[in-house]
Parts: sequence; structure tokens; C-alpha cells
Amino acid sequence: MIGIVSYLVFFLVIALILGVAVLGLNLQWGFTGLFNAGVAGFMAVGGYATAILIGPSREAVAGGFELPFVVGLAGGMVAAGAAAAVVGVATLRLREEYLAVATFGIAISIQLVALNWEYLTGGTLGLIGIPNPAAGLAEGPLARNVLYLGIVLAAAGLAYAGLGRIVQSPWGRTLKAIREDETAAASLGKNPVRIRLEAFILGSAIMGLAGGLYVGFIGYVSPFDFKPILTFQIWTMLIVGGSANNRGALLGAVLVWAIWTTSGFIISKVVPPDMMAQSGALQAVLIGVVLVAMLLFRPRGLIGEEEHVSRHVRP
Amino acid sequence: MNIPRNGLVLAAAAAALALAGPAAAADCTIKLGVVLPVSGPMGLVGERIADTGQFAVDVFNDAGGVKGCKVEYLLRDTQGQSTVGVDAAKSLVDIEGVPVLVGAISSGVSLPILTSVAVPSKVTQISCCSSSTSFTALAEEGKTEGYWFRTYATNRSQSAMGALLTANKGYKKTAVIYVNTDFGVGLAKQFEQDLPRLGGTITKMVAYNEEQQSYRAEVTAAMEGDPDSLFLVAFPVDGATITREWLSLGGTGNLVVNNSLRSADYLEAVGSKHLADLVGYDSAQPRTDSVATFNSMFEARFDGPPDGPGLHSMFDAVTVTLLAMESAEEINGTSIRDNIRKVTSSGGEPVHPGPEGIAKARELLAAGKAIRYVGATGPLQFDENGDVQAPKLTWRFEGDRNVELDYYSTGDVAELIMKLDN
Repeated sequence: MIGIVSYLVFFLVIALILGVAVLGLNLQWGFTGLFNAGVAGFMAVGGYATAILIGPSREAVAGGFELPFVVGLAGGMVAAGAAAAVVGVATLRLREEYLAVATFGIAISIQLVALNWEYLTGGTLGLIGIPNPAAGLAEGPLARNVLYLGIVLAAAGLAYAGLGRIVQSPWGRTLKAIREDETAAASLGKNPVRIRLEAFILGSAIMGLAGGLYVGFIGYVSPFDFKPILTFQIWTMLIVGGSANNRGALLGAVLVWAIWTTSGFIISKVVPPDMMAQSGALQAVLIGVVLVAMLLFRPRGLIGEEEHVSRHVRP
Repeated sequence: MNIPRNGLVLAAAAAALALAGPAAAADCTIKLGVVLPVSGPMGLVGERIADTGQFAVDVFNDAGGVKGCKVEYLLRDTQGQSTVGVDAAKSLVDIEGVPVLVGAISSGVSLPILTSVAVPSKVTQISCCSSSTSFTALAEEGKTEGYWFRTYATNRSQSAMGALLTANKGYKKTAVIYVNTDFGVGLAKQFEQDLPRLGGTITKMVAYNEEQQSYRAEVTAAMEGDPDSLFLVAFPVDGATITREWLSLGGTGNLVVNNSLRSADYLEAVGSKHLADLVGYDSAQPRTDSVATFNSMFEARFDGPPDGPGLHSMFDAVTVTLLAMESAEEINGTSIRDNIRKVTSSGGEPVHPGPEGIAKARELLAAGKAIRYVGATGPLQFDENGDVQAPKLTWRFEGDRNVELDYYSTGDVAELIMKLDN
């Protein structure tokens, strides 16, 4: 029983970290309509920045500032936001699929930089020995993970509440206006290019936060952690949960991650032992079928967009 | 929020019960957790490795299992992704209660599992294939707490062999020219530490960048300090250019070279009459009956030879783990960690793979005797960081071919490295 609790805590930590990244993507795609296919890249920037800021000092590798975890997370957000600003200025004039291709390429480039810039990232060896902020405060793996879950819940809660406020503000309504009809928004005196850039930077900073949380939990970072499949998973979570709804984003993260991981558990129980090695493909099929079914029956996601009307025009 | 998840778990449990009915033959079972990528880009490699692990378990079960119990091989897919891998490992440890994890393949998956699952839960992890030196660094910092092992030989031995050759030849002042890549830099820096321990000195370290027309500047720089020998870490084409320029500028013919230069291209480009005093080292196949035993067992089971990455080392990873379980009084992560060392102790009675070997091991262990597992990769000898070494050989050119000089077994290499590191 304690084992199941311990596993569920571990599961929720990872699911909610991914959920934070989904919240960031939701701001970009759900509310603003920016097709960012480089989520993993911005998570990588945040993750590495956090690792460098909080990690122990090492020969031949930059960093080793041993700063507090919160500072590391903030640094990760700033770094991811700054990366997004550079990328955004260069690409945000592109629309939909063009933006998708550009951001996808950027994520791959970031991964390649991480692989090769050894002084900063440790190259293929990655950065080891990154301290877990919960390690000094709790004894035993379960207590430590519960504490870390608290940290992740706080981060996810802050992001959720903050984004909830933001999208209901006048600025948030402008995002939707741009998403629905950019020309109309511009004709009302809004500056779409600038607002798209702002949403892109803020969303990417939140992805950077997710990257930092992941690195702090695992205690290690390598280019291997930010493969393109991660971007796909984050997108799936948003679409299944319901885009343009922050509750949907978090729900989607937990649900999709549950499907992704329990499918392995189920297969290990159902498939006879001597067929185990061949069952890998089956897991991919199972994941695919569940996701397709979900989209067939709930095409707008589990919780779709809610109507938001300015309180000034409410009757 | 968790309702659908619980539903799935229940469905899985029901399915498991339905299947478990007639299948439960043995009275007791012992679980072996395995995390490998059996889908995704590494899927094909992982599948063969996973089958080999299952084979090792079957061999053990046919020989009576561990402590009379049937070993259950619980394989989970990492999909080659660190997040999926750590989740699979955590669920094996927490829900299935496995005391040991075998895997993964990529270091980028194995290391997160080690730091976030295995070490905190005091579960032993043993990998067939992860090669990153980060594991050694982590172990040296004490962060693995000894729970990490791998049956894949590391590259540490290369500089040690170079230093040994130089010292055995009686050279006193050695210049080093090395290729400026992570391979060359790592090897040369380690050589710089190793050689003085065996009595030599280094006059100059010179890095070269690949694919240049001439290396006159590098060669001239390396000649400073009047060296009586040259340690060259290079690949054949550039290595030949460097050697020719070195010799034509009056450098000594006392050359010590790395494994890559044991090639006909290099020999032809320089000319054998100039290389009479050259010696080098290279990796060697282990020379014990145990390797042949494994190969024939594998052929009989899979109708093909065990050629492919990681098969020998996976078989050994699983077998050594099961032997450690057999040897332990009570099976848990810490006792497996300690007993892996006991069943590979250098003074123990050698035990080979296969049913007879397992029976022999069981008898010896029951009698309280020490054993030493000599497996599909030869004798395993884990150093304090959980790393193993592979056998090496030394060679030189004779006419238009290269000939072997000496063979250094795994034990010899491990001993040499221990001497250099302490």
C-alpha cells in the first residue's frame, strides 16, 4: 500500500511538472494561437540554466554557483524567456505551420548546442550532482518526494492562478482577439506583433520553469532529456485536456501521462513473459488508440474553452 | 482526477488475475526488474538485449532458480525517454517491490533512474550498456552509494596501457601528440597523470586538429625538451602524416601508439622499415572457456550467434545479479549490492555460465565458499566505482602485418588501473 502511495507521489511530481509546461503552451497556442513546436527546446534552456545556477562547481564546466533552488528556477525562467525573445523577434512574423517548422528547428538546434557546448552543458556527459532542494529537509525517498510534490504544486498553482488572472485581464482578451482575427485587432489599435511576442516570451518562461523543476527533481540534466517526443507529449496533453482552458491543461497533463505510463504496466501484466520484449510496439499502439478515441469523442478536449466576458458588459 | 487511472489499474489487475491462475506453478517467486528501450529508435537493439536477459533468467530457472524460487523477469519499456524510464523504474520498485533494476541502455536514461529511483530507494542498479564517464564521476563523489554497477567495459584502460608500454620499454622522457577531440583529450589528460606513476616523465603535450595538410608546427613543438619517445593518440591518416614529419625532422623512432593505429593504412603510409620500434595496445577478446560456453548456449537457443551490441554484457549483468541473490541471506537492494562483490571476488572459485556452473555456484555458496563468476564477457571484476575492464593486448608491426606481443587479461588490466588510481 505504501508502495502505491509512494509511486503515485512520484507519478504526480512528473505529471505536474509536465503540466506546468502545458500551461505555458496553453498561453501560446490556446489563447494566442501561436503554434510553438519547440517546447522541449525552451524546457531545455530553463533546465540547463537552473542546473548551472544551483549545481556544484566543477572543473572544466561553467557554473557551480550553488545558489538557492528558487533563484535557480527564476534564472531558468529568465533564460527561457530571453531565448524566446530572440527566437520570437526572428520568427513571430510567421504564421501557423511556418512558425511550427521554425520553432521545431530551433528546438533541435538547442538540443545540438547542449550536446556540443561542453563548457556550458557538459556535452553528452550532462551535468551531474544537481542538488535536490527537498533532500536536506526530509528523510527517506517518500518524504522527500512528498516535499518535492509540494514545491511542484506550489509552482503549478502559482502558474495556474497567475495565468488565470492574466487571460481575464484586458491584455488576455487582446490575445484572444488576435487569435480570432488579427486584422480586426490591429484595426482597433492593438499591436499584434508586440502582443504575440509578449505571450510567446511569457509562455516560454513557464516552459523554462518546468525544465528547472524537472532537473531539480532528477538531479541530472543531459541533452537526452529534451528530445522532440517531449514536445509531442506536451501538445497531446493540451489537446486532450482542452486548449484555452488552464484547468484542462493540467487535467490533460495528468491524464495523458497516466495513459502513457500505465500502458506499460498493463502490458507487463497481460503479455506472457516470453513475448515481453516484443510488446514495446503494443504499448505505442495502446497509447495511440486511447488518444485517438479521446479526440473522436471529445474533439475540443475534456474541458474546452469557457466564455469570458468583461465584467463591465455583464448584465 | 484519478478515477480513470484507478479504473485502468483495476482492469489490469483483473486481467493479471485471470492469467495468473493456471500459470502459477512455483511456490515462490523472486522478482527481477528490467528497464530497457524495446520500442523507439533503440527498439531493435533493446529487444535483442531484453531477450538475452530473459534467456539468462531461463537458464537460472531451469537450474532450480534462486533459493529454490522461480525468478520472474519483469521487463518495462523506457521508450528511450528519461521521463518514461524513471516512471517505469519507480513503478517496478514501489509497486512490484523489486530489489534490483537491470538497465537501461542509454546513459541519458540510466543516470536519471540511478539518481531519482535506485539510490534513494536503496535498490541496486546494473546496466549492460551505459558507457558515460558521468557514472564514474558520480561514484567517485559517493553519490551512487555503491548501488551502481555496469558490465560494459569503460575506456579508462587506454591511457593505463599506454603508460605501461612506455614504462616497460624503459623510456624516460616522453612527448605526447593527441587528437583534439573528447576521445583524444580525455585519453591524453589521463596519460599525463598515469605515466609519472610508473616512473616516466612528460616533456610536452601537443594537441592537433584533424585533417590538416601538415603538422610541422605541432611536431616541432613536441620536440622541445629532447624526448626519447613519443606517445601518439591519432587516427590512421593524420597519424601517418604526423609520424612521417616527426621522423623526417629527426624525431625518435621510439613510438607508442593507441589502438586506432593498428591499421594497414597507417603502416602502408609510413612504411614498415620506419616503424620497427613502434608498439601499441588494443582491445582483446577475453580468452576463457566461459565465452565459448555462452556462445554455444546462445546459438542453441536463438539459432544464431550472439553478435550485436550488449548481448554478452546483458547476460552477465543478469547472471551476476541472480548469483548475488543466491548468495545473499536476505534479498534486498543493499544485500544484492554487497553480494555482487562477493560473487566476483578475485580469490573465489571460478564459476561459468550454464546449468552446471549455476549448480556448482550453489554448492560452493551453500558450503560458505567464495566464488568468482567468469561469464560471457570473461571474468568480471568491479572496481570501487562499479566499473569493469576488458582485456587488452599489445602489438607491433613486423613486415607488412601487425603481430601480438602480450595479452593482458581483465584481471591484469583492473590491477594496473587500481595501482595507478591509488
